[in-house]
Amino acid sequence: MNGRSFKRLRTLFFIFTALATISVVKASSESIYLRQVKPILKERCYACHGALKQEAGLRLDTADLIRKGSNVGSILEKRGNDPAELVVRMTTADLSARMPPEGHAVTPEQIAQIQLWIASGAEGPKQETPEADPREHWAFRRIERPPIPTNAFIDGNRNPIDAFIAASLDAHGLVPQPVAGPEQRLRRLYLDLIGLPPSRDDLHQFLGDPSQSNWEAAVDRLLSSPQYGERWGRHWMDVWRYSDWYGRRMVPDVWNSAPQIWRWRDWIVRSLNQDVGYDHMISCMLAGDEFAPDDDEAGYATGYLIRNWYALNPNDWMRNNVEHAGKAFLGLTFNCAHCHDHKYDPITQDNYFQFRAFFEPIGIRQDRVPGEADPGPFQEYEYSVLRKIVRIGSVRVYDRNPGAATWFYTGGDERNRVADRGSMSPGVPLFLIPQHLQIGEIQLPIPAVYPGLRPAMNAALLAEYSAAIAAVDQKIQQCQAQSEQQTAKFKALNAERAAIGAARSAYEARFAADFAKYNGSPGADPVQLAEAASRIERNASVLQAEALVATREVGLEELKAIQNPDAETQKKIAAADQDLTTARTAVTEAMARLHDSALAGKYTPTGPEYAKSSTGRRRALVQWMTHRDHPLTSRVAVNHIWMRHFHSPLVASVFDFGRNGTPPTHPELLDWLAVELVESGWSMKHIHRLIVTSRVWQSSSSMGASSVNLEHDPDNRFLWRMNSGRMESEVLRDSLLFTAGRLDLTMGGQELENSQAMTTFRRSVYYSCNPELDGKNPLGALFDAPEPADCYRRSRSVVPQQALALFNSELIHQMSNVIAERLISSAEQAHPSAQQLLPEQQFAKQNHIVVAAFEQILSRTPSPDELRICTESIAGGMAVDSLVRVLLNHNDFVAVR
Amino acid sequence: MTRKNACCHQPAGRRPFLADLGLGCAGMALGDMFAADGLWNRAVADERADAASIDGIPKAKSVIWIFLSGGYSHVETFDPKPALNKYAGMTFDKTPFENPVHSPLHRKRFRSVPAEEINVRDVYPTIFSMQVGWGKHGESGIEITDWWPHLAGCVDELCFVRNMWTTDNDHAAENQIHTGRHKLDEPQPTIGSWASYGLGALNENLPRYVVLGGPTRSDTRQSIDAYYLGPQYSGVPLEVDPANPLPFGKRLSSQTEDAQRREFQLVQQLNGLAAAEYPEDQDLRARIRAYELAFRMQTSVPEAVDFQQETEQTRQLYGLDQDATRAAGMKLLAARRLVERGVRFVQVFPSTYGVWDSHQKLKENHTRLCATVDLPVAGLIQDLKQRGLMEDVTVVFCTEFGRTPGLELRGGGKDGRDHHPNGFTVWLAGAGIKKGCVHGATDELGYHALGDGHYVTDLHATVLHLLGLNNRKLEIPGRRRLDIDHGSVITEILT
Repeated sequence: MNGRSFKRLRTLFFIFTALATISVVKASSESIYLRQVKPILKERCYACHGALKQEAGLRLDTADLIRKGSNVGSILEKRGNDPAELVVRMTTADLSARMPPEGHAVTPEQIAQIQLWIASGAEGPKQETPEADPREHWAFRRIERPPIPTNAFIDGNRNPIDAFIAASLDAHGLVPQPVAGPEQRLRRLYLDLIGLPPSRDDLHQFLGDPSQSNWEAAVDRLLSSPQYGERWGRHWMDVWRYSDWYGRRMVPDVWNSAPQIWRWRDWIVRSLNQDVGYDHMISCMLAGDEFAPDDDEAGYATGYLIRNWYALNPNDWMRNNVEHAGKAFLGLTFNCAHCHDHKYDPITQDNYFQFRAFFEPIGIRQDRVPGEADPGPFQEYEYSVLRKIVRIGSVRVYDRNPGAATWFYTGGDERNRVADRGSMSPGVPLFLIPQHLQIGEIQLPIPAVYPGLRPAMNAALLAEYSAAIAAVDQKIQQCQAQSEQQTAKFKALNAERAAIGAARSAYEARFAADFAKYNGSPGADPVQLAEAASRIERNASVLQAEALVATREVGLEELKAIQNPDAETQKKIAAADQDLTTARTAVTEAMARLHDSALAGKYTPTGPEYAKSSTGRRRALVQWMTHRDHPLTSRVAVNHIWMRHFHSPLVASVFDFGRNGTPPTHPELLDWLAVELVESGWSMKHIHRLIVTSRVWQSSSSMGASSVNLEHDPDNRFLWRMNSGRMESEVLRDSLLFTAGRLDLTMGGQELENSQAMTTFRRSVYYSCNPELDGKNPLGALFDAPEPADCYRRSRSVVPQQALALFNSELIHQMSNVIAERLISSAEQAHPSAQQLLPEQQFAKQNHIVVAAFEQILSRTPSPDELRICTESIAGGMAVDSLVRVLLNHNDFVAVR
Repeated sequence: MTRKNACCHQPAGRRPFLADLGLGCAGMALGDMFAADGLWNRAVADERADAASIDGIPKAKSVIWIFLSGGYSHVETFDPKPALNKYAGMTFDKTPFENPVHSPLHRKRFRSVPAEEINVRDVYPTIFSMQVGWGKHGESGIEITDWWPHLAGCVDELCFVRNMWTTDNDHAAENQIHTGRHKLDEPQPTIGSWASYGLGALNENLPRYVVLGGPTRSDTRQSIDAYYLGPQYSGVPLEVDPANPLPFGKRLSSQTEDAQRREFQLVQQLNGLAAAEYPEDQDLRARIRAYELAFRMQTSVPEAVDFQQETEQTRQLYGLDQDATRAAGMKLLAARRLVERGVRFVQVFPSTYGVWDSHQKLKENHTRLCATVDLPVAGLIQDLKQRGLMEDVTVVFCTEFGRTPGLELRGGGKDGRDHHPNGFTVWLAGAGIKKGCVHGATDELGYHALGDGHYVTDLHATVLHLLGLNNRKLEIPGRRRLDIDHGSVITEILT
């Protein structure tokens, strides 16, 4: 028996057994359809035969439409001995004709169900609605500001968020939990906004006046704290996939991202602290070089694209740009249209490549940073040549190759290029916003084309020359003070002084020549200026060569002055002699160049030159993305913000707002917040303030006594209480250090290695984040530190190794000791123990320690039971550092209540 | 765990399932802890039980997955090719065989990570003779090379799969054989992670998925990573050092055992008070349980890698008495001890990163390296057999790709072979695996895996099947897996 006929037999067997079953339960045709057949069709067929597409004129999304058939007629009628076309196409051995064309075949069991349904009359429900037009999908419609529900305000609170929440609680018959106690709320607020707990003083201050106005004051204070930018910067770094350089870190060999990428991280932190609009931030990240071409900072922001760079394969770079710009900013899974048209959303495979075309021209350049040495040009990849870790300078994206072709390819493999389709032009799926892209070439300002002419660069270099001159002058003065004017050393210093002065003049002349060349300054002839620059530069090189000779002469004389030189010294003398000869030759050569007519007008430019224009593609893209009518950008952004305040999003599928995503739990609230974001100038602080001053955010996270809530909404989808969360790995480490008073709040700079994360105390955001083995610090690795490849939402695991780290690490012991010392000294102050304490004094002191420890570590006072148990432990001989460690291991330390 | 009192498999379905699992939030899945406590009884979990990934009766309880990094030469290990000697020095087109480079398979099973315009690996067409002799062994008469004198004595226990292929022609193939995906594709959880995710624990005092000797390098972390399943399903690297086997796994010397116990008890007491206040807080309950486990792990983990109780005879069996074999032998003996104690998946890297990579001096390199693993691996097989563990444990022995039948010419090459994804050999043994069997073949020159061959995920499907799991049902919503990720069970090698 061959495989095919065996399969048929199997199918027959299933039909037989299914029929036997049916005859017993007498299932109707309609119920077979709804329970068995429709789910199969929906999963395997709707993508091409539903609302999205109607291949062969066939739709399979209602029983009526199935009976109607395709362009060529019925698909349910038997043809002679053959089964219905629907079944034939699903079971044929001819893979080119088999449906569905992708994935495994429909199983014999499923075929049996379909045949059974056909045999039973192929009926469906009377009023079956076909799939809706995908363009009508909730997330693809323009966002209109919904009216605020008016009759559902609670406790007189006027925060619109509460009105929406209350309305949905009413609708579901749920009862909101009361507002949480002030201690819990304050800790929640601090951890949420700055990622650090309140100090004891902060706690006492607030408990002294837990009024609404004092709450709002605390909110404002925290939002203006620099630590806010670090806390929320890390959140956005998750979404924007921040990664420090990687590739082959152990070699080392830089294959991905860049060693200067941390400038982008610092830009994020700074921008958030300045409340730069979300629209402006994403514009700079995707197109800072086009938006603000002469702003170095905007250039750092393009680190967003550089992070995706992959040395070995530019296609991979482009694929990540497309996939993640889609997911992060638009909640669209463009990547699903890489190999075929999207199965759920109206995104075609053409759209995929059109989207890629926005990024096709880009390359990376390496710029000198004022005040730093020149890093030289960006090291492009060359097979089997190591790429160095360059720590100076900055990197930015620019349109390197405006004519770069975007080739359409099939099967997700760039080797399958469909060359005869030509290059794909940039474009966006038109269903989202009825406006066309405005792509216009951008003429770049001079400093962007010619970074050597940046005013800041010029000022920094002049300052460097001045500093060098001042340094030599000082040495000269020392010589004079010691009456050494006649020495060779003095002469050498004077030669050096002359050389530096000449070098500065040469730089000034080169700058003037470059400036005239690119800016065309009036009254100056660029040719003359170039000739002057050339002459002055060559003069300067003579002086420099002469200075070197003078310096080497001094060195040689000093060696020769050594009495009875040993072999080593004699070797040095010979070498110095040789060096001097070389230096003298250099003088001769430099002199010769003075009179070389071939060099006339030639000088060293002040820096590299880049393309004078940019295609404007990416600028057009971000203008489209941040347009008020765009239905996705602002919805996706507020959902991300909401999730990080509430530990749970409004739209669970945070990177997929398409038809395969999850619908919002609170659609009106989402839209209202999205409009609020846009109309506040995309101010994120505005949204934060709205949220943390809402009643729902301040409500208790405990379940309460109401069984109605637990019964109807056990997962708290409608927010009848606050969700509890867990400190992210960074918050955990930072809070531990902060509680011990050891956190170093220095901001910014090159990333630190994770090998130092347990012994140095900067905030966690400043340690390397990369997908390799050393990409997480030891605590981060256990407490779900972000996966740089993909972290739109963090996971939250509970594993025994976490407990081990919080019990057995050197760090936890060290910090416990520090905290214990403070607690003891505070108790000593309150209860001086010059003499032997009476038992009740001893007890009061122990109580003091326990209360202070709870306040310090858990930001709350202990309950009577807790106080009793802990005081007994201390009285029973438990060391204070042990108690501290216990509280650091308390669930309430890592939990955010 | 002895065979007598070994736990039966827990139904994998009693695993909490969060509706939004697939969206980057696979965390909190502490199913086994809850299951053990009977705490997880929500309807949603029962629903999940219906769709359980259990795939019939499991044949294996645990897996020892041995990976040799760098790519051992299939033709000089387990797939000897006399034709290489016969046609040595000739180019492919001078042999009577079809030129393998012209086969469409060549491109199909060969995807370069560097873009074509950056580098495409050369094809080396000049046939390089086998660098070692070979012979038939055992009753099965399976041919392997002379570099494996000890393993030769075990061939009747082994089942060789000689038509494996992969697609990455560079060392990211090390990740590929563990995850099933090419470097240019989206990363996936490893085979060990899926096993750990799909199965309950047999011993809660040890991690379910342990890694010995790896990951081999910072950029092969993917080989042990659970990725979107969440970190609790990642491999846990252990050192074979009872003094410090696990990061933070040991009480600091500055603290007494008694002091630590008192701290631990107070934590549990205080958390108990909190649990009374938040009776529905699953996270808190999980954390209380995790602390109990953590406390026990401080003794159970060091014990598992402590060889004091092992006899001198056993030590010799694994080559612990010889310099050359000690490193591999310790890891393999530790692996046996771990599966004995109920660890589900032990991933062993007996050799360091890339050492089998023999672009030059293949003979010298393989002679030396085979001598480091041959004896201990044969020892493991014998040991498992003696202890009756071959019926509980499946052993997999593999590498990332084979090596070219042609002589590598780079670097003035005259005595090495390049990477070869188009055909290579792995072997399996133990629970559910046929004994003394050879499945599949490469062509006469050892170039192409014949027939459909087996992509690396077929190995995954086979292993998961033996563990009682259905690869196709191990799905996370929102994380689409492709057909190729699932692979197909290699039924021909199963008992």
